[in-house]
Amino acid sequence: MADTIPLAEAQSLVARARAGDFGALEHVYRAYERSVYTLARRLTKTPEDAEDVLQETFLEVCRSLGKWRGDGSLWGWIRQVAASKALMRYRREKLRATEVLADDAAAGSTVDVPLRLDLEAALERLPERSRAVVWLHDVEGLTHEEIAELMGMTASFSKSQLARAHQKLRAWLGEEGAGR
Amino acid sequence: MSGERHATAEELLAVRDGEGSAWAKAHAAGCAECGGELYRLEQVRSQLRALPAFVPPRDRWGVVAERARRERRQRRLSGAAGLAAAAALGGLLLVAVQGTRPDALQAQTTLRSAMARSQAMEQVLQGVDPDARALGGEAAGAVVDLQRRLETIDARLGDPAQWGNDPASQAQLWNERAGLLSALVDVHTTHVAYAGL
Repeated sequence: MADTIPLAEAQSLVARARAGDFGALEHVYRAYERSVYTLARRLTKTPEDAEDVLQETFLEVCRSLGKWRGDGSLWGWIRQVAASKALMRYRREKLRATEVLADDAAAGSTVDVPLRLDLEAALERLPERSRAVVWLHDVEGLTHEEIAELMGMTASFSKSQLARAHQKLRAWLGEEGAGR
Repeated sequence: MSGERHATAEELLAVRDGEGSAWAKAHAAGCAECGGELYRLEQVRSQLRALPAFVPPRDRWGVVAERARRERRQRRLSGAAGLAAAAALGGLLLVAVQGTRPDALQAQTTLRSAMARSQAMEQVLQGVDPDARALGGEAAGAVVDLQRRLETIDARLGDPAQWGNDPASQAQLWNERAGLLSALVDVHTTHVAYAGL
C-alpha cells in the first residue's frame, strides 16, 4: 500500500501535531483511516473489533508521534502500530489454543468438502492467525521476521503458516490439482 | 523431471518472494507443474492486493481527538506538578544545608515566587484550551519553537545537576518557563506568531 503523504509533508505535519495542532493530526487520520481500518478488518474477527483497532491505533499515534523518527515511511510506522493493536486483541482473547483446533479442523475440510469460493470469502474463512500472516506478508509486504516479531512467533512459523494458508486458499478457490 | 521431487508450497513461496534456494528456482523453471503453481501463487498475491479497501462505518476522529486532548492536558498538568514537587524538594534540601540564613531565605522566596508565576501561567494556558483550535502555519511554527524551548527548560529543571544548590539559577529557569508559557498563551489567544523572547 503506497504512502499517501509524501515524507517532507509528513515530517511537517508530525512537527505541528507534536506541538498540539489537532488540524495536523486530523490530516494524518484522514489520510490513513481507510488503510488502518482495512488492515484491522483483515486481522480481526468483526467490523466492531476493527473499529476499535482504528480508534486505539490513532490514539496511540497521538500519544507516540515522537517515536516516529521521521526518516522512514509514516504509513510504515502507523501500520506497525495498527498491526500490533490488532494482534494484541487477538492475543488478549486467548484464541491461540482454540484456534489450533479450528485450524486442524479447517485443514481437514479442504479435502473433504467441495468448495468454490471467491477470494474474499476464502480469505475470510482462513483461521485468524493464518489470515493475518497472508495479509501482512502478501499485501502489506512485511517480512517473515517482522511478522514473527509482531506475533511473538518465529520466522519459520510465519513461513509455514503462509504455505498452509495458500494451500487452503488453493483448494477453496477451486483450482485444479487441489490435492497437490 | 522423473526421479526428482516437486517443490513444496513453502519453497515456491520463497521463490515467488525472491528468496528461494537455487534448487527451487531451477526446479520451478524446468518443471511445468511447479512453474504453474508458482504462477498461481503470484496471481493470488496480485488478486489479494487488488481487493477493495474497507470504509469505516463511522467517523471516529471526534472520539480520538477528544481522548487525545484529555490525555495531553493530564500529561502537561502532571508534568508541571512533578517539576514543582522536585523544586520544593530541592528547596527543602537547601534549607537543610544552609539553615535559615537571611540570604538563603531570600533566595527561597524568589524561587517560590518564580515557581508560582510559572504555575499561574500554566493555569492560564489550560484556560485558553490550546488543544481546542487548529493553528495556521506561522502560529503553529511558533508553537513548535516555544514547545521545544519549554521542553529544554523542563529537562534542565528536572535535572538537579543543572542548577545544583543554587536557588537563583533554579528561579531563573522557572522565570524563563513562565515567559515561554506566557508567549504560548499569546499565540493561542491571538493566533499570531510570536516574534521571540
